[in-house]
Amino acid sequence: MEDNLENITEDEAELYDRQIRLWGLDAQRRLRAASILLIGLKGLGAEIAKNIILSGVKAVTLMDPNMIDEEDQMSQFFVSSAPVGQNRAVASAAPAQLLNPMVKVTADASNPSDKEDEFFAQFDVICATGCKTSLQCRLDNLCQERKIKFFSGDVFGFYGFMFSDLGRHEYLHEEIKRKKKDGQEKEEEGITITREVTNFSLLENELKFDWKADSPGMKKKIRQTPSAFFITRVYEEFLELHGRRPAVSTMEMDTKELQNLRILVLNKLGVPAKCIPEDFYQYGYGELSPVCAIVGGVLGQEIIKAVSQKDAPLDNFFFFNGVNDEGMVDKISV
Amino acid sequence: MALNGALGKQNVNTLNKCKILMVGAGGIGCELLKNLVLTGFTDIQLIDLDTIDVSNLNRQFLFRKEHVGKSKAQVAKESALKFNPNASIVAHHDSIFNSEFGVDFFKSFTVVLNALDNRAARNHVNRMCLAADIPLVESGTAGYLGQVNPIKKGLTECYECQPKPSAQKSFPGCTIRNTPSEPIHCVVWAKHLFNQLFGEEDPDEDVSPDTEDPELTADAGKSALDSEAKKDAIGGIERKSTRAWAVETGYNAEKLFNKLFRDDIKYLLSMETLWKERRPPQALDFHDLPGKDLQSASTRSTDVWTVQECGDHFTRCLTALKEDLAKRGEDGMLVWDKDDHHAMDFVTSVANIRAHIFGIPLKSGFEIKSMAGNIIPAIATTNAIIAGAIVLETLKILFGKIDKCKQVYLNRVPNDRKRLLVPCALDPPNPKCYVCSSKPECVARFNTSKITVKTLQDKILKGHLNMIAPDVEIDDGKGTILISSEEGETEDNEDKYLSDFGVVNNTRLKCDDFLQNYSLVVTVAHVEKLDGELEFEIVGDLSQCHPEEDGDSSAASGAPAAGKAADDEDDLIVMEDLELEDKEMEQSQGESVESRKRPAEDVESPAKSKRKAVAAAGDSEDLIEIS
Repeated sequence: MEDNLENITEDEAELYDRQIRLWGLDAQRRLRAASILLIGLKGLGAEIAKNIILSGVKAVTLMDPNMIDEEDQMSQFFVSSAPVGQNRAVASAAPAQLLNPMVKVTADASNPSDKEDEFFAQFDVICATGCKTSLQCRLDNLCQERKIKFFSGDVFGFYGFMFSDLGRHEYLHEEIKRKKKDGQEKEEEGITITREVTNFSLLENELKFDWKADSPGMKKKIRQTPSAFFITRVYEEFLELHGRRPAVSTMEMDTKELQNLRILVLNKLGVPAKCIPEDFYQYGYGELSPVCAIVGGVLGQEIIKAVSQKDAPLDNFFFFNGVNDEGMVDKISV
Repeated sequence: MALNGALGKQNVNTLNKCKILMVGAGGIGCELLKNLVLTGFTDIQLIDLDTIDVSNLNRQFLFRKEHVGKSKAQVAKESALKFNPNASIVAHHDSIFNSEFGVDFFKSFTVVLNALDNRAARNHVNRMCLAADIPLVESGTAGYLGQVNPIKKGLTECYECQPKPSAQKSFPGCTIRNTPSEPIHCVVWAKHLFNQLFGEEDPDEDVSPDTEDPELTADAGKSALDSEAKKDAIGGIERKSTRAWAVETGYNAEKLFNKLFRDDIKYLLSMETLWKERRPPQALDFHDLPGKDLQSASTRSTDVWTVQECGDHFTRCLTALKEDLAKRGEDGMLVWDKDDHHAMDFVTSVANIRAHIFGIPLKSGFEIKSMAGNIIPAIATTNAIIAGAIVLETLKILFGKIDKCKQVYLNRVPNDRKRLLVPCALDPPNPKCYVCSSKPECVARFNTSKITVKTLQDKILKGHLNMIAPDVEIDDGKGTILISSEEGETEDNEDKYLSDFGVVNNTRLKCDDFLQNYSLVVTVAHVEKLDGELEFEIVGDLSQCHPEEDGDSSAASGAPAAGKAADDEDDLIVMEDLELEDKEMEQSQGESVESRKRPAEDVESPAKSKRKAVAAAGDSEDLIEIS
């Protein structure tokens, strides 16, 4: 790990006081050297942007080729009362910048699919929200080649997920150990710090997992896999096929398609029908603000962990299901 | 504002009709207000007494630098209105304890959401919601951990159903005064010294050597005292208050320094039994401090000062604080504040000088501020997650599905059932709860001839039992009024002891708080002396109490120890992480929610039911750092 990072100024120490007390000065120094590309500025993207800009990273590029739409009113607080039709990233940049003048916030209205691979090399972290699975996989692959930390995520109504691929990730792990000193009744606490490594896997490898394999423990594996994994696969399928997400304005039509895709996903994966409740679609329209806050909070914290190289990262999915309050971490391919 | 269809079959228009009261517009509050407005709530009132500080800006995203010093409630309202200009938000820059916010006020809301940072306010809102019979969603965060607790009278545990340990960890007086072994001991001593010199004098905060240290045989302590008094005139100042002596010397830095760090230390050294198995302290002289020749160029708060630098800061701060004190007039006093640079630097320098004397590692000003200011670290992401969970629970309450509500705990790492967010079933009310049961009762253990009416009122009823303006009547058939909330009616009683009014073992005191609509019967259990240095002890659950004949008390197990009132209004928190068994304690001091509830879905491994996240109830600004 580089030690040539500049020291934190008194102004920064004052502003970031409460978080430095949690993750320490070194972590804060690493944070403020990180450049992050955030793709997708809907409700989830806005939450992530807020969290990482507040934390004091060096620079955040907000990228979204789309226009503000009606659904942004319910979760995208940068533009929730802005007129529809403006580019989302451009409209978000000014209010996002106000959160922390020490972070360089820029907007890019281009489509990430149109960018050359070289464009992405300038970032330390790339986080893709609201993107098709195929684009997520392309970005993940190029991030792995270039040793860029990759994240993706999305929210559909009450459901949401996060994925991370940090490649070979080194981090410091703090453990508080209690031990008794000789001759003393009281236990003393000491902090031990160890350097740990986690090896991540590619999103495409995770999604290739063979649920039909006749291996022992598969039934248990299916039972223990978060419901939001199977549910969000339906929405990812919708997005991939139609290039858009199910919308409140086309609810009737989209519900039928979601019901069809449910069967398709169940068959494709080869998992029992109960993995995706029949009425799942009732809870999957729009992006619910509290769900964006939860998934965006977890994802934002994972970006902070990845950059600061402090604490064990979540390996490698987080799923949230707001219908039953379940927020689970899982590695599908294991 | 949500669109119909997004909340499933539930109609978004229901949200328009809901009246929400939000208590607190800080870390959780800012996130919560955003979520509420975006989700489609349009009728919101929020209360916060606080003003905005720079250290809030890393997470309280509705505030910016230009808002520092302004009302949190007001600025939060203005910022949130930009998310939906059609929402109706009323901001109260006021205390929730204000009698204006009575039971009728609470009754005017559909649901109350707490986003608080201290236990006193949480207790109060809990009682107001019980009295008004309005559902409450309670929440708290500390560092990476957080929790959400839906509360409904008669259906779930209330906030006070489970006893909570004392808000502040206290240390034995002799450790602080004679044998410090950790930085925190020096910090506590330094704060005591501050209060002795500039603040309200408290006999419990004596900074001089303690001759009644149980480690000393009676003789050793006494002979040390005698010999010291003889050979050293300064020894005689023990009988004078530290404050009076300091004033006499004109707060002379050299005299104070040499008394505190040279003569008192020499005196401690004369208590030889203390140092048989300890490293003896080394007295310092004002003019001969280590690090004199080292010129450290840095002035950052994260650097550790040399002892010489500590001495310089000690001198500088004494002068500055003396001037601050003079501005307060004849009987003025200073209140220690972690954000006052002179007060903070004074404690940093004093704590480090004392640490050096006792061979304890020195700490930076930044670290000492954590300890002295009881600062709980706080981050945006945890608050965002918890605020999201609050709204999801609130939606269930509003759409008539309170039976589906869960307590939600946010862990630092996933538990062995892969859960980062753990939903737990709600527990029914504790039938013996001294707050929400139909006939609230508790037992107070103390020596009736040592507890004054004022102590009963201020420390027990207000400080510990969280009443605001109690009325107390002795249940003696005559209805003797001990305390009246009407001004001037019972002030003559204040300095008398309870025994003067015929209060004995098993006397019942009928205590009422009009504002909280709360009546509590306190049964007195007379004990000659309590363990440790406790003045009194409250036992909420009567079955846990075994009043004793003599003074050799054994603290009732599970009872909240009645320590001294926290000396900082923001309180502390303990959290036990899921990995308790793996010895991965997060933090170790302060308030804890003592619940040991089963994860809602955890039926297959009862053995693991105890492995439960117990996060703190507090987006508290406060923490004692593990040193």
